[in-house]
Amino acid sequence: MTKVREWQRMDNRKRGKDMNIIETRQLSKTYRRVVKREGLGGSVRSLFRREYEEKQAVRDMDFSVREGEFVGLIGPNGAGKTTLIKMLTGIIAPTSGEIQVMGFCPNDLKNDFKRQYAIVMGQKSQLFFELTTNDTLRMFQEIYGLKEREFQETKAYFTELFGAEKLLDVQVRTLSLGERMKMELMAALLHNPRILFLDEPTIGLDAVASRQIRGFLREINQERGTTILLTSHYMEDIRSLCDRSVVINHGQKIYDGETGELFEKYQRDRQVTVSFDQAVERTELPDGAVLVEETPYKKVIRVPREESGALLQRLMGYGPKDVIVEEDEIGRVVERIYGEGENREER
Amino acid sequence: MREMRKYREIMHVYIKSQLAWRADVVFNMLFTVAKILFAWLLWGMVFRERNTVADFTFHGMLSYYIVSSFLSQLEMSGGISGEISARIRNGTFSNYMVMPVSIEGYFAAMEVGVVLFYLCFDLLAAMVWIFVFRIQFLFARSAVVLGCALLMTVLGLFFMVQLNYFLGILTLKYEEISTFLMIKDNLVSLVTGTIVPLALFPEGVVGVMRLLPFYYVTYLPSMLFTGRCAEEAVRGLVVLGLWCVLMQWAIVVTWRKYRVKYDGVGV
Repeated sequence: MTKVREWQRMDNRKRGKDMNIIETRQLSKTYRRVVKREGLGGSVRSLFRREYEEKQAVRDMDFSVREGEFVGLIGPNGAGKTTLIKMLTGIIAPTSGEIQVMGFCPNDLKNDFKRQYAIVMGQKSQLFFELTTNDTLRMFQEIYGLKEREFQETKAYFTELFGAEKLLDVQVRTLSLGERMKMELMAALLHNPRILFLDEPTIGLDAVASRQIRGFLREINQERGTTILLTSHYMEDIRSLCDRSVVINHGQKIYDGETGELFEKYQRDRQVTVSFDQAVERTELPDGAVLVEETPYKKVIRVPREESGALLQRLMGYGPKDVIVEEDEIGRVVERIYGEGENREER
Repeated sequence: MREMRKYREIMHVYIKSQLAWRADVVFNMLFTVAKILFAWLLWGMVFRERNTVADFTFHGMLSYYIVSSFLSQLEMSGGISGEISARIRNGTFSNYMVMPVSIEGYFAAMEVGVVLFYLCFDLLAAMVWIFVFRIQFLFARSAVVLGCALLMTVLGLFFMVQLNYFLGILTLKYEEISTFLMIKDNLVSLVTGTIVPLALFPEGVVGVMRLLPFYYVTYLPSMLFTGRCAEEAVRGLVVLGLWCVLMQWAIVVTWRKYRVKYDGVGV
């Protein structure tokens, strides 16, 4: 019976793929913060005359997400990503604009709404550190009103997926960061939410743990049809998981489209590494190409993407032993993406 | 019923949390034992030269002391305001906001979990020592008075949870609530006679204090349990009940009005 209901729910999710599960219009959030001049005098003055400044964290954001999508939110620190997620989950109230998530106004904080989503913040834990994950899961079973069979089936599914059999009965405080993140995800996904909000889930994790977490998220999105909204500073997370990316800077959306296209757009250079059997003293380079590293037997050249063919043709003339063509370094791509946002701001 | 199971499980989690630390369990039991031992020695010396003090016999005084210190030990809701305030200020209050539970209910269940834990272990320690010292425990004989005392204890503890929750959510408006907490602590000490014995106040002042809820949180239930002040039982329940309703109203209004000020900063 539980299985049948589960499949029906998955089916509904797949049928609802064309529906917007999240929609915002002209959404804005302004924080007010106290400003104080430095020193004791400034503190005394602030006691009698408090000065405030306003910081607009999100500005006139129009944004929508369809059911089943995996969307990445990218932006530098303070861009407004976390503020947007907090508004979508109802944690904070917007200053102006409209917001609708699964048909609910999030800040009404209705229990029916809260039962349908989950949020995992990399720097914040839902688990009880002195207890075991099993203890927390049992509490969440009751909080989300899960029947025993449904609870056991979901727990078994995630235990297998995360390879977490031996982790459920140990104190959470003794788990490694990667293990703890798996347990956080398990606790968050126990009630099979329609939307999963993830704020920096791989922060501080090593490469192996990050790759594992990415694998789990991909499976949850594809197999369970869970809509996922992910913020991360690690572009590898965004590129390998999200079909769609939204770039935010200074509270405004500066890109909303396919992740592949985003990287294509900003990936302007190629790096070509060429090695020779015999010493080659000089190579002729096409316009725009820059020698990054040079020895008689090896040259590393950065070249604009559209000139890479011409460069390779010239290099072939020297009879190379080996040629490696690499994509632009991801850090440079990110700098360009954010840099474009800055320029728009200035304009 | 399903709703209640949520809070029962939250309560279980907090009992389990207390049990995680074995040293805490042992030291808490030792503390209860030490208090009874100290009271037995102190009042033993006082009663060596007389049979009664302020109408209390030796066993009556020990009974009152054990009950009142036991009830005071159970009233641990002060941590709620501190925790809410800290979590609002550091942004982790969101953890409670995203769960499909009443946040006030969550804190009340948490408090019940903590209190039940101490109730079990302290009661066990107290009973062993009452037996060891052969204290002839004096209890009220009337079942109605005992029932009133029990109900008043539960209402009193619930009121303190409400009050501390209310003070905690005032952080949404004032950001800093330590002054409110200081006023509350001093008022509680004054009304329960910890700072100045109530007998030293004029009758009119004591009358006003009886309109405040704190008088009924530990002091009156202790007197009722040990067979005194029975005539105040019903009035106490009515006053305390009205305070609980008033406090709940204040919580609902404050939460509705200031919830939108929460900005969840710090994480």
